[in-house]
Amino acid sequence: MQEKIRNFSIIAHIDHGKSTLADRLIQECGAVSDRELEAQMLDSMDIEKERGITIKAQSVRLEYNGHILNLIDTPGHVDFSYEVSKSLKSSEGALLVVDASQGVEAQTIANVYLALDNDLEIIPVINKIDLPSADVDRVANEIEETIGIDASGAILVSAKTGEGIKELLDAIVERVPAPQGNPNAPTKALIYDSWFDNYLGALALVRVFDGEIKKGQEILVMGTGKTHKVNELYYPHPKRKLPTNAIKTGEIGVVVLGLKNVADIRVGDTITDAKNPASEPADEFEEVKSFVFAGIYPIETDKFDDLRDALDKLKLNDSSITYEPETSKALGFGFRVGFLGMLHMEVVKERLEREFGLELIATAPSVTYKVITTDGEEIEVSNPSELPDVSKIEKILEPYVKATILVPDEFVGNIITFLNEKRGIQKKMDYVGDRVLLEYEIPMNEIVTDFYDKLKSTTKGYASFDYEMIGYKEGDLVKMDIRVAGEVVDALSIIVDKNKAEKKGRELIKVMKELIPRQLFEVAIQASVGNKIIARETVKALRKDVTAKCYGGDISRKRKLLEKQKQGKKRMKSIGKVNIPQEAFLSVLKID
Amino acid sequence: MLYIHIPFCQTKCFYCAFNSFQGQTHLKDAYLQALIKQFQHTSKPHKFESIFIGGGTPSLMDISWYNQLFEVIYDYIDDKTEITIEANPNSADYEWIKQIRQLGVNRISFGVQSFNEEKLKFLGRSHSRKDAIRAISNAHKFFDNVNIDLMYSVAIDTKDLLKSDVLLANKLGVNHISAYSLTIEQSSRFNHTHKKDDEEEEIWMIKLLNSFLKQYEISNFGRICKHNLGYWQLKNYIGLGAGAVGFKNNKRFYPHKNIQKYINNPLFAHIEKLDHQDLLYEKVLLGLRSVAGFEWEILPKHAQEKTQELIKEGKLILKKGRVYSTDFLLADAISVYIL
Repeated sequence: MQEKIRNFSIIAHIDHGKSTLADRLIQECGAVSDRELEAQMLDSMDIEKERGITIKAQSVRLEYNGHILNLIDTPGHVDFSYEVSKSLKSSEGALLVVDASQGVEAQTIANVYLALDNDLEIIPVINKIDLPSADVDRVANEIEETIGIDASGAILVSAKTGEGIKELLDAIVERVPAPQGNPNAPTKALIYDSWFDNYLGALALVRVFDGEIKKGQEILVMGTGKTHKVNELYYPHPKRKLPTNAIKTGEIGVVVLGLKNVADIRVGDTITDAKNPASEPADEFEEVKSFVFAGIYPIETDKFDDLRDALDKLKLNDSSITYEPETSKALGFGFRVGFLGMLHMEVVKERLEREFGLELIATAPSVTYKVITTDGEEIEVSNPSELPDVSKIEKILEPYVKATILVPDEFVGNIITFLNEKRGIQKKMDYVGDRVLLEYEIPMNEIVTDFYDKLKSTTKGYASFDYEMIGYKEGDLVKMDIRVAGEVVDALSIIVDKNKAEKKGRELIKVMKELIPRQLFEVAIQASVGNKIIARETVKALRKDVTAKCYGGDISRKRKLLEKQKQGKKRMKSIGKVNIPQEAFLSVLKID
Repeated sequence: MLYIHIPFCQTKCFYCAFNSFQGQTHLKDAYLQALIKQFQHTSKPHKFESIFIGGGTPSLMDISWYNQLFEVIYDYIDDKTEITIEANPNSADYEWIKQIRQLGVNRISFGVQSFNEEKLKFLGRSHSRKDAIRAISNAHKFFDNVNIDLMYSVAIDTKDLLKSDVLLANKLGVNHISAYSLTIEQSSRFNHTHKKDDEEEEIWMIKLLNSFLKQYEISNFGRICKHNLGYWQLKNYIGLGAGAVGFKNNKRFYPHKNIQKYINNPLFAHIEKLDHQDLLYEKVLLGLRSVAGFEWEILPKHAQEKTQELIKEGKLILKKGRVYSTDFLLADAISVYIL
């Protein structure tokens, strides 16, 4: 049986058609009826379907010509590369999907390196061959040149029309190796995903490397040292639960242990037999690391406990978020939440609001700085308002990323100017056909604002981009504060390159001036570094805010309008006498 | 207090969203009977402090119609009762004005809007500059209290135009002006292109008016109209007629708006109950837009703190246990701020 199993992932740059290809494979294998067919079947969250993106890797067990194919869909966006690496640990093969007209993009490259690190058999798949702009030869060439893998065996498909899908399935059976592993050895299974189900509790998605997991078995979760009984076992399927009595060597399955807490089945941990445990755990993956931090606060200050509950619950499904309580003078009680990137931050905020009915304010995203104090101490700062006083700072180190950018050569001049503005250091510049592959080292704090949007607009949407953390370097950085009516608003402080402080300050308060509505009093908005004011704007006081007519019949209508206005005001945060709308807290994202 | 609504008009003005209808005057006798029926079935005070006959166009109803109406209300008025009637400069002629005064009406209010011909056309008014001047002069022969309505913030307004309207009104000797900034109502024929959005000019206009007649509410200048002030003090009042509104013991009463429906059932009223919070909001917002003010005592603690802040800033005054605004123009913003 084991030799009939094929475990494979699908990797690609975002929008190259992974999820559609997955749909087509599922359909071709008859795993869902025609009635159940829908687009992006493996994307189960509303937010995934609406945005057309995959956030969580999903798995499905398929049967084809007497073989078991375990398909693992993966996210394409750089923020979720952690999900990709988890999937690759459980696979022997990877379909490298490349769009037949777009060609190789930055994330294609990044994902291939991950796959090669895991010794996977890579099957190049050139997708969207039905498009008039498809250029298979050029793309095959790019695969060979930029990635350095043989593209002669590339499978040509159109996930949209179904062309080439059979050939692809045959190739998977032929070329992806069957899983290794000893069926007679003690149970060894890697937890590569876990989530919370309202009915079944905490669920673990596992890949069994040795032995098997059986219903009723006493198992040991090696990292926690705790033992549990296996209540139920399922094969993964997008539409229903496929119960089984055992998950055998090389297989993938869902383990139900009747647990309430996902922390008991942490992703990366190993499940083994309680009485006859494996001598060592399965290969772990690196701990997921948050790169981007932001303060998340409930708009209504009495909703702090609700926010905590929501984060606890969300963490069950998205183990990559981190959070700890923090207090802001301006925003009250909230959390400093760590994210994998900007898209992840947006998605988490939206899920918290949508799935838990909360209204939230997010502060500007920040990276984690390392501050060496004059006492020689090293402290980590991911909330700019917590940066120590200048007199106590010896130096500040900031995180850098290695950015890979692929761009048509006509934009190269613009891109280089743009990257210089972002304090980038060029490491590599190669021509690939009529495109240029750039490698830059860039301070991460330049990337966590609107870097990606600007990059896209500078290149009419043609640039693709991927990055990875490479470590810390000393920076010439200062904390810039924003004062509203003379008071420093802690939630608006940012850490910036010293040379850019004045320009950024001026732009930032200009944006804020537009966002803060006129009020009963004149409102001064200032940007300052230390005690020095570097820019100032004024929101003039209201002079007239009243409706003309208000007699018998108008009064109720008028009162209701006022109540509405009052509700609107509740959605703002008051700093002293000044009401600040929530968008103002993210205004830093609107500047260069 | 008593409000009587006359929902008939010869033509509908372009900006108008009031409950008024063209071509329905054949219903006026049946309507009168309905008014009388509603009046008789409503509990009334011993004497009314004020009566306001508004519209629509009350001057479309002839004197014999008012004779019948006043027959039933005479018992409830005395020489202290302020009785206002609204009139159109072209339908209220010398005789009508004279006789309506003889019935006991002691305050007359003309919907002049402007003395500028072009602006009158723009607004869809059916009278001319001449009609307006004549009507005001006639009124002064019989009435001490003459009001005119003026409108500003109209797309074709200029400071010169507004100034000549105000100066002429002053010259004609009116002792009250209601001046309204044009409000675009969805159910009117006007849209935002007919409105001039010029805060500076609005404030200028209000200052100009205030230099002739003292402002006592955001839109009202001159000798205080008791009836209007009563609204802003949330006094009880009866609302008679289609689309009128009554207020009594924290309830608001809304009879049918449609004339025929009202005639069929003049005793029907939709009732809106106001809770403690609603009343607080209304007292504050009405009190701040006029000289009425409101009692300090009604404010909850947090609102008192906010009010204190504004007193310090000179935007509010506390006098004999009442809070007053120093700038009616900020009434809405201040209400939202303190509540």
